[in-house]
Amino acid sequence: MQSPIYLTGTGQTRFGEHWDMSIKDLMEESIDAAIENAGCTALDIDMVIVANMLGEVASNQAHLGAMAASLLPHHPPALRAEAACASGAVALHTACALLESGKAQTVLVVGVEKMTDIAPSKIAAGLMGAADAEKDAPCGLTFPGIFGLIANRYMHEFNLSRERLNHVSARHHKNGVKNPFAQFRKEIPAEAISMSPKVADPLCMLDCSPISDGAASVVLSTKFESPIKIAASQLATDTLSITDRPTITSFAATKDAMSAALQEANIEREEIAHIELHDCFSIAALISLEDMGFATPGNAIALYEKESPMTINQSGGLKACGHPVAATGIKQVIDVSKQLKNSKSSYGLAHNFGGAAATCGIHILSHA
Amino acid sequence: MEEQPLPAASTFSLMRNTPAAIHRAQKDLQRKLQEGTILSFTTVHHTPEGFPAGPRNIGLIELEDGQKVSGHLISETDQPIAIGMKVLPKMRLSSVNTQGLRTYDVSYEIPVQQTVKQEFPGYVLALTGPSGVGKTTVSVLLSTKVGKYVERVPILTTREPKEGDADEYVHVSPEEFLALKNEGKLATSTCIPSRDEKRWYGYRTEDIDAIWQKKMIPVIITEMNLLQGLSSHYGRRSILSFGLMPPGKSKRQMLSSLLHRLRDRGRDTEKQIEDRLKNAEADLDFFKTRSELFDDVIVNDNVDTVVGQLGGLVLERVKA
Repeated sequence: MQSPIYLTGTGQTRFGEHWDMSIKDLMEESIDAAIENAGCTALDIDMVIVANMLGEVASNQAHLGAMAASLLPHHPPALRAEAACASGAVALHTACALLESGKAQTVLVVGVEKMTDIAPSKIAAGLMGAADAEKDAPCGLTFPGIFGLIANRYMHEFNLSRERLNHVSARHHKNGVKNPFAQFRKEIPAEAISMSPKVADPLCMLDCSPISDGAASVVLSTKFESPIKIAASQLATDTLSITDRPTITSFAATKDAMSAALQEANIEREEIAHIELHDCFSIAALISLEDMGFATPGNAIALYEKESPMTINQSGGLKACGHPVAATGIKQVIDVSKQLKNSKSSYGLAHNFGGAAATCGIHILSHA
Repeated sequence: MEEQPLPAASTFSLMRNTPAAIHRAQKDLQRKLQEGTILSFTTVHHTPEGFPAGPRNIGLIELEDGQKVSGHLISETDQPIAIGMKVLPKMRLSSVNTQGLRTYDVSYEIPVQQTVKQEFPGYVLALTGPSGVGKTTVSVLLSTKVGKYVERVPILTTREPKEGDADEYVHVSPEEFLALKNEGKLATSTCIPSRDEKRWYGYRTEDIDAIWQKKMIPVIITEMNLLQGLSSHYGRRSILSFGLMPPGKSKRQMLSSLLHRLRDRGRDTEKQIEDRLKNAEADLDFFKTRSELFDDVIVNDNVDTVVGQLGGLVLERVKA
């Protein structure tokens, strides 16, 4: 980063089923919370970026930039960013670019998703938009199906048993108990994971992140200082369809974004104390840890079988917190900032991807 | 496999089923019509709208040309699916949109696993080609050249003996033939309808076994149906399979050279020759459409060259 970018305000709604709240209500609650704990006032915000994927599908609502700006007294300029489940990271990256260019000095980034208003089958069809509509969808594939293919191949290549995979979701649920913003705050024993209903073999219901409503907002500024800074903001992409990739047990976009982010932050991987990673499905957590270099291929499960000095998804991850898709990337950054303040460690990382990691965004936060 | 009724679907989830999207998808169908290998598979328990209710098996398949596709997996049996299985492309009804437009897509079938013969039975030399191409001539010359190592397998047939038949046929009644077939004593058989009767042709396994007993290679003169049967009975790798083509640069020239040979042979009436030529055209196409069934397709423009080539191959196998 040329000039330091500070994370001055953070706020989120609880993730879960909010039948009494509209997309606008969700945004408003998280924006109010973020501005309240920011080192500036609402009037200091000179740009708004909204991350959202399913506004048209689930709420018949486009034009979310203006909707968010209208919640502020001075209606600042606004835009919307979309990259499926990576919308949050893409919005943060866009904000960093605006701040670095000097076009803006204080930017409000809002991630919002309203998913429970329509039938699950409709949401599933909307989420399938994150894959290649003409290559992946026509055979009847769903997103859990895509990760079912990935999980089956991974288990075949690395001889991972279904029992060992159970530890991923079990750990996330255990972590989520202490998070007041999490959708599920109940510990679930490992053996219950594979006993839950099958969704897309070998994945069961408790391997999948849920459908959730929620919003998360941050205020980023080059003008108003805070102890937490954005040390790196990197995006990388890969083919939309998994059929166009040489392998499906590793995600190239995660690898590319990770190496660029470490270089930008100018740190070693070992200096990272906390990570929030994109566990949309249990198998994704393992692949992501390997692609980020925290484990060798096929061995990430060991990080879930014992305690490690680096915390992984202390918030509960997407599994326990819920996954209002575009809000997730923002929420991860909020959680990492809280973890850094709490542990007084120096570096934390948020890993957010869209689709089958066709877009990956990595943000490294530093704590003074 | 029974086609399940497809539920009517909302327009939203089936935006991919607009006529324009279907039209674009047609361009890809040819490419997807290849055999492939399962790289991974999953069972989707909640299928998207517009598809039959789950569970639905879907595979990530590597096609023969190296490209990958995701596709619906179908199977005639309930055998478990496994990574690495071979699959065959099949056109199947995929979905129906609200306007009633029926979309067909390529599904991939897991063929019924044939009981794989653990023991390699031995080699069979098979010569396939249209009538008059010279299969019999080649096999006779082969017997004289490497007769120590090869022996022709007699053809079992229900047709009436006629003048000019070589010693290649064993004539049986249709009842006898069907009895042998039902008892599983035939390695392969086929029925070729002619103008006034059904004619059965086939080979007895005992004849082939007897030749193997003598440490020799059985030579079989086949046509397309017999070759397919032979290949599934003994396994493709047991068959040293050669196609014989008449000389000629175009299909017309090839057919005309066959016509001359058949007339010169003088065994058939003009009407029979006409029938044989019709079948010959299908035989020539078969070389292309089922090229995997042939080790090589040889143009029989010089019998000595062809016999030399096949004889060399026989010696190679016998020594190995």
